[in-house]
Amino acid sequence: MSSKATIYSFLILGLAVTALLIVAPVVYAVSLSFYQMDSFVGAPKWAGLDNYTRMLSQWVFWRALINGFIYSFGTIIFQVVLGIGFALVLNQVFPGRNIVRGLSILPYLLPTVVVVLTFKWMVDGSIGVLTTMMSAVGLPQVQWFESPGAAMASVILVSVWMWTPFVTTTFLAALQTVPSSLYEAAKVDGTNAVQRFFHITLPMLKPILTVIVLLRAVWMFNKFDVIWLLTQGGPVGATEHLAILSYRQAFGQFDIGGGAAVATISFAILSLVVFIYFRLFPLDTE
Amino acid sequence: MDEIKKDGLSRRTLLKGAGALGAGIAAGGLAAPAVVRAQGTKTIRFLNAETSIDSIRALKVAAAEYEKQFGTKVVVDSVPLDGIFTKVTTSLRGGTPYDIATFAFIGHVLILASEGQLMPLNELTDKYKWGPNILFPVDGKVYWYPYDYNLAWIYYRKDLYEKNKLDVPKTWDGFLKNSQALNGDGTSGSLFPIGSNGATNWLSPGFMWAEGVQLFDDKWNIIFDNADMAPRASRYLDFFGDLYKTMPSGTSQASFGEVLSNFTSGKVAHTAYAGRIIETIERNNPALADKYGIMPYMDSAGKHQAVNHGYDGWVVLKTPQSDEAMKFMKWFTENQYINFLHTAPLHFQPPRLDVYDDARWRAHPLIEKHNAAVEMMKSFLTDKNMILTSIDTQGPSPSLKPGKIFEAFVFPEMLQNKVLKGMSSAECVKTAADRMRQVIAS
Repeated sequence: MSSKATIYSFLILGLAVTALLIVAPVVYAVSLSFYQMDSFVGAPKWAGLDNYTRMLSQWVFWRALINGFIYSFGTIIFQVVLGIGFALVLNQVFPGRNIVRGLSILPYLLPTVVVVLTFKWMVDGSIGVLTTMMSAVGLPQVQWFESPGAAMASVILVSVWMWTPFVTTTFLAALQTVPSSLYEAAKVDGTNAVQRFFHITLPMLKPILTVIVLLRAVWMFNKFDVIWLLTQGGPVGATEHLAILSYRQAFGQFDIGGGAAVATISFAILSLVVFIYFRLFPLDTE
Repeated sequence: MDEIKKDGLSRRTLLKGAGALGAGIAAGGLAAPAVVRAQGTKTIRFLNAETSIDSIRALKVAAAEYEKQFGTKVVVDSVPLDGIFTKVTTSLRGGTPYDIATFAFIGHVLILASEGQLMPLNELTDKYKWGPNILFPVDGKVYWYPYDYNLAWIYYRKDLYEKNKLDVPKTWDGFLKNSQALNGDGTSGSLFPIGSNGATNWLSPGFMWAEGVQLFDDKWNIIFDNADMAPRASRYLDFFGDLYKTMPSGTSQASFGEVLSNFTSGKVAHTAYAGRIIETIERNNPALADKYGIMPYMDSAGKHQAVNHGYDGWVVLKTPQSDEAMKFMKWFTENQYINFLHTAPLHFQPPRLDVYDDARWRAHPLIEKHNAAVEMMKSFLTDKNMILTSIDTQGPSPSLKPGKIFEAFVFPEMLQNKVLKGMSSAECVKTAADRMRQVIAS
């Protein structure tokens, strides 16, 4: 087999797998949004755009959309800022650096369910270890989930704790590619550390920053497990975003079409955001 | 590479081999159910949702016994209750349906029955006398075999009542005063969850049912905010708002586990649950085993009492193995049912009234020991004045509509609006009613 044929065979195989595992389910999910269905066993009834108009007319949809943006922006900002900060620290030479580097990735390696349930029990208002310790030293009790704002903050906190290491590791790898001669030259020119960061490090990291922000945005906008395990969207729907609304609609409220409509709208919004993002921050201009 | 080639193992050969192996494994995996069916010719698949070790063991022992006696293999798979409907429907859709499945929500049974996927079970249920509001027949046909009630009632600390000279309350005022009196010194007055979860739907509306609140009229119109119901619901919210002040921090996220652990560890003086709490006390804090009491939810005036409905049951699906599954269910419910109930002796409250007189069931040590609680549990079924309802069983007949309201967490959000956002009770009721109308419209 010629090398060209080999390339084509791999290409076809890849396309076939993509079509089977990604395109087909997406098309199927989008098609479900045009039908009225109680469950997957019944015969679907054509509903046209009814599911879309019905879901878009409900305030829970708009609440979920806003919550999704708050959650995504909140987590991305903290993950990127902290991630870059930690990467800069870990890029310095200090005793035990390799051990600290290894430890810093740990939160990312832990299963989500372990992290979330541990956090929940630690801050439990009655028997949580953190609650008991704070109470023992006379500190006031923190109401982690008692108000809509606190619940959103808690969800963001756990998400940032879990996924900042990914950003740190990526930036740390990128930092290794910045030539040290640039810093040395800048030092000779009398720049301070802040100036070097903004004029050398950040511009050099811009391509990776663009990709990281995009990836994190997509992942966080669709993130389901952390929120579901922590708050199930509560209290008062304050942490319910489109992914949770879609699931709840489809599998809780026996409205497969409505759930699929929410998922499709979410997909469309995300696609639009990605399109605009690439227009604003094109990858190939550098 | 050259050495490998010399041995006749080129990279291509290896890839081919790996591909063939992968294909073989995949084909084997996909064909597994067919193989399971073919091996014994008589194999039935049972999807269980009771995931405690004891319950799974009891089912597996029964399956082994059945195979020994009749030669039919019973494969028992267990999944948590939350995933059961999805698992059943996807197995149907995938062409390898389960023959028997467990459900804890009548809406799921109704969906499958309306699609013609279930076997009527009247031949199994008709011969027994059942407790109230449990068979959910559709046009005279019973599509499930309920194996337990999980009614929610109120637990209180009898020892603290005696110590503080408190009487068992008959009204909301009395209950509130007792909760306030027991709030402090490391113990919270009460715990009734308000989180957006099933625990809130199950454990917190009982006071509202006792007050006579209903969600639907006979034609499935929402009446929750009409002139009769709105004041009742508002009263309930006012009461709950005051009661919330006696609850521990974390109530807004409390679910089944938190409720169990808080009461059994002595952190709260009142809560609600079914019999599981007694079993947990016996296991984790036996010192509390003679220090609890149970009572139904009460109304504001002391005239009516209620328990919140809860239930589980088995269905037989229409599959090529339906006849075998029916035979197994007949044998199981006649010969192994008591053993199964004994795996959670106080939590699996029998819906079959004959079981209460069955010496085998009575002989379980926990049932003997907690006889007073068991008698009261039975009285919840036999007392004609006891209101037995729940969000998912409201309405003139079994239907999906109240189930949608249950799953949309309309009531938890109503409570959260009241106690976390400080909305007026009237506004909470109106918002909840509007949301109910929205939810059932889909």
